[in-house]
Amino acid sequence: MVTKPDLTVKFCKLELESPYMLSSAPPTCTGEMIMRAFEEGWAGAVTKTIKPDKTAVYDYDNRFGIMGFEDKQMVVFENIEEVTKRPLGTWIKEIKEVKKKYPEKPLIGSLMAEPKEDEWEALARAVSEAGVDMLELNFGCPHGMPERGMGAFCGQRPELIEKLTKASKQGSNVPIMVKLTPNVTDIAFMGKTAEAAGADAISAINTVLGLIGVNIDTFEPMPTVNGKSTFGGMSGPAMKPIAMRCVAQLCQATNIPVSGIGGITTWRDAVEFLLIGANNVQVCTSVMWRGYRLIHDMVDGLTQYLDDKGFSSVKEIQGLTLPKLTAWSKLDKDWEVVAKIDKDKCIKCGICFVGCRDGGYQAIKFEQGKAAEVDEEKCDACSLCTLSCPVPGCITWKRVKK
Amino acid sequence: MSGRTHTTVLTPQDRIKTFDPYVANLIDRTAWYEASRCIMCFDAPCVTACPTRINIPEFIFRIKTRNYRGSAKIIRESNIFGGECGYVCPVERLCESKCVRNNLGEEPVAISLLQRFVYEMEKPKGLVKFDKAPSNKKKVAVVGAGPAGLSAAYELGRKGYEVTVCDSNAKPGGLLIYGILPWKVAWSVAESEIANIKEYGVRLLTKKPIADAKGLLKDFDAVYISTGATKSAGLGIPGEDLPGVHLAQDFLYKVACYVKGEGKAPELKGKKVVVVGGGDTAIDCAMASLRLGAEKVYVLYRRSLSEMPAVPYGRKQAKEEGAEFMLLTAPVKIIGGNKVSGVECVKMELGSPDASGRRSVKPIKGSEFTVETDVVILAVGQKPDEAALKSFGVKVKDGLIEVDKNYATSIKGVFAGGDAVNGGDTVVEAVAEGKKAAEAIDKYLSGRK
Repeated sequence: MVTKPDLTVKFCKLELESPYMLSSAPPTCTGEMIMRAFEEGWAGAVTKTIKPDKTAVYDYDNRFGIMGFEDKQMVVFENIEEVTKRPLGTWIKEIKEVKKKYPEKPLIGSLMAEPKEDEWEALARAVSEAGVDMLELNFGCPHGMPERGMGAFCGQRPELIEKLTKASKQGSNVPIMVKLTPNVTDIAFMGKTAEAAGADAISAINTVLGLIGVNIDTFEPMPTVNGKSTFGGMSGPAMKPIAMRCVAQLCQATNIPVSGIGGITTWRDAVEFLLIGANNVQVCTSVMWRGYRLIHDMVDGLTQYLDDKGFSSVKEIQGLTLPKLTAWSKLDKDWEVVAKIDKDKCIKCGICFVGCRDGGYQAIKFEQGKAAEVDEEKCDACSLCTLSCPVPGCITWKRVKK
Repeated sequence: MSGRTHTTVLTPQDRIKTFDPYVANLIDRTAWYEASRCIMCFDAPCVTACPTRINIPEFIFRIKTRNYRGSAKIIRESNIFGGECGYVCPVERLCESKCVRNNLGEEPVAISLLQRFVYEMEKPKGLVKFDKAPSNKKKVAVVGAGPAGLSAAYELGRKGYEVTVCDSNAKPGGLLIYGILPWKVAWSVAESEIANIKEYGVRLLTKKPIADAKGLLKDFDAVYISTGATKSAGLGIPGEDLPGVHLAQDFLYKVACYVKGEGKAPELKGKKVVVVGGGDTAIDCAMASLRLGAEKVYVLYRRSLSEMPAVPYGRKQAKEEGAEFMLLTAPVKIIGGNKVSGVECVKMELGSPDASGRRSVKPIKGSEFTVETDVVILAVGQKPDEAALKSFGVKVKDGLIEVDKNYATSIKGVFAGGDAVNGGDTVVEAVAEGKKAAEAIDKYLSGRK
C-alpha cells in the first residue's frame, strides 16, 4: 500500500487540494481557461482582475518583453497589460459556470476599481454574490492603472489600503485577501495595515516596476509600442528573491496567511516559499511560457520531496525556515571557515583564481595544468570561489579557529 | 549547460557525390549557445595548445556578447589564416583536446565550429585589417606561398618590409589550394585570406620557381624559404613503380587540379583502391578516391586503431563513406604485370612501446595474404623535395633544411620554416612558424636584440 503525503492546504475557509493556484493574470482570463486549468490539476485560481464596467481599459499591441539567456532561457518577463477588458456581467456568468462545474476548487475573484469606497464595496458585493470563494483586492499593478489612481497607487498609500479593504469587507460575503505591491519601501507595514483593516489574507508580490531593455539598434525602449514604451511589471524567475524577501517579511510581521507569488517555476521554488511561511503559492509567468501542464510536475515533485524527507503533509513544512531568518547583527560572528579545494575534482580552469584575484582577497594560487590552492591565511571566506567554481562540490568550507 | 552543439552533416551517400563541404556552420542561436559552454578559463589550456596562441576564451566571449567583428579581431591578430584553420585544424589533437570540459566528463567546447562561425560573420564586411607600419625600404623574398611563407610575408609586410613571395604553382596558397580538398574547406576561405595578406603590400609572384636562394640576396635583404613538404615517402617495397601506384601528395595535387578544372583526375571509377598509411593524408586519399567513384577503398595500416595518427573525426567520416580499415596489416609487395593487380600483405602484431611511446610492430610469420586492387596510394609520410632544397645551397640534414632556433639557415640572411624544416606538420604549425620566423628576420634586419 502506497501512502502519499497530504498536499492539502487550509487557506482561511478554503480547502485547497494542493498549494498551487493560478494567479490573477492572462492564464485566468476567461471561465473557459480556468476550467481547463482545473481539469489539468490546478488547485485553485484567482481570476484576471475584474473592474467596474465604467472603468475603461486598453491593451496595447506588443505589450510583453523578456530578458533571457541563450536559447530563450527567460529570466525576467515584462508586461504592460491592464486588467480584464471583459464586462462584469460576463464574469458573473462565467464565475457561476466554473463554480457549478468545479464546486470543490476554490475560485478567487480579483478586483480593482477607482479609489472610492462605494465603488469597491459595490464591486465586492457583485463578485462575491456571483459565488467566488474569496476576493483578492489588486493594490499591486504597477503600470497603466496607477496613472488613473488604481493598482499600485492604492498599495503605495496606507490610508487607501485601509479604506478600500474596509469598504470591500463591507460588500463581501467571503474572505478578503489583499494583494500587495513590492514597489514600496516597507511592504511589512502595508501588510500590517491590511491586517488591521480586516484583511483575512495577503498575497504578494505583484510585479516589480522596471524597464526590460532598450533596442540598441533602434534606440527604442522595450516593449516597443510603435516606437515608444513605458515602465512595466517584471515577473519570472529572477523576481523570486525579491518575492521571497517580501513574503518572509509579511509572514514575520502579520498573523494572517500569506499566498506567495513571484518567480515560481517549479515545485522546488514552491517548497522554498512554503518553508519561509507562505500558506500556498500562485503561479503565472511560467504557465504563460509553458502552459497549464506544469502543474503535473509541481504536484508530483512536491509529493516526492515530502516523501523523501519523511513529511506526511505539506503543512509540516510551512514556515520551517522562517525562524532561521534573523537580523544581520544577530548572525554568528564566531563562525569562521576557509575555502577548501578538492584537488581531485578541480578541472584546472582557474575561474576561482581570477575571481579571487580581481574581486576578492588574492587568496588562491593557480598555475596552468595544476589544481588551484587556497592560501588559508589570506582567505576571507567570502564564498565567491565556491559559487563561481563550475564543478559541484569541488570547493567546500573548512571550519577554522582564528 | 553541457551538451555540445552539432551542426547538420550531409549523409555519406550524398556527400561523396561531390567534392563540396558537407558540414553545416553554426547560426547565431547555436553559436551563442555553444559559446555559453565556454567557462572562460584563466590562462586557458586551449590557448597553450594552439600553435598560434589564439586567445580562444576571449573570441568565444565576444560571440556571446554578439561582438562578432571583435571576435574576428582576436582570431586574426594571432592567426592570419584563422578562417582556414577553423576548418582544417586537427582540433581533436590541439585546442579541443585541452578544453577543461573534458575534465568534467563532457565533450569539449566546439572551438573549431565557433571559429568558422566568426570567419563567416567577418567575411561579408571584409576581413579585419590591422595598422601597417610605413615602408622601411628593406626587401624580403619568400620562397613558397604556402601557409608558412604567407604568414611570414604578412607579418613582415605589416612591419613595413617590402615582401615578394614566389611560388611555382599557378595560384598562391601551396597546400591550402593544392593539397586540401574542398569538402574540408572551400578554397574561397584561403583565397580570401591570401587576398587580405596582399593588402599589406605583399607581392605574390606565381609560376615562378626559385632555385638559388643565395642569388636572391643580391636583390633582397633577407630570404625566407618555405617550400613545404611536397613529396611523399615511399615504402621501398617491390612493385612501387608499377602503373597504378600513386604517391599521396601527387595524387591529392592531381585531384585538386581536377576539381579546379585544371587537369585530369586519376581514373578511379569502379576501381578498387588500397591506401597505405594511417595519417590524416591517408584518410584524405581514401575520401578523395570515394568521390572519384572508386568501388572499394581499403585503408591499410600496420598498427591498430589506437596508434593511428589520423584524428578520430576523419576516420569516422571515411568509414561512414565506405572506406574499409585493414588494421595490423602491412604491404610486402605490390603485384602486377603491366599494371597493379594486388598487394601482398602480412598481418602484424603489436610489441612493447618504443622510446616515443608508440608500440612497435612485427610481422606474423606465415600470415601473408593478397588484396586484389587496381590502384595503390602510398600515404606513409611526406617530405620536402630534397633536390630543390639542395639547389638553394643551404645545409640540408636528413632531408630537411637545418635551422637554428631563430630559423636561420647555414647561409647568413637566409631563413627557413614550415614543412621544409619540420618535415610536415599542420597548417596552424606552419602559420606559427611563419610568425616566429618573421620576428627573427625583423630582428636580424633591424639589428634589434
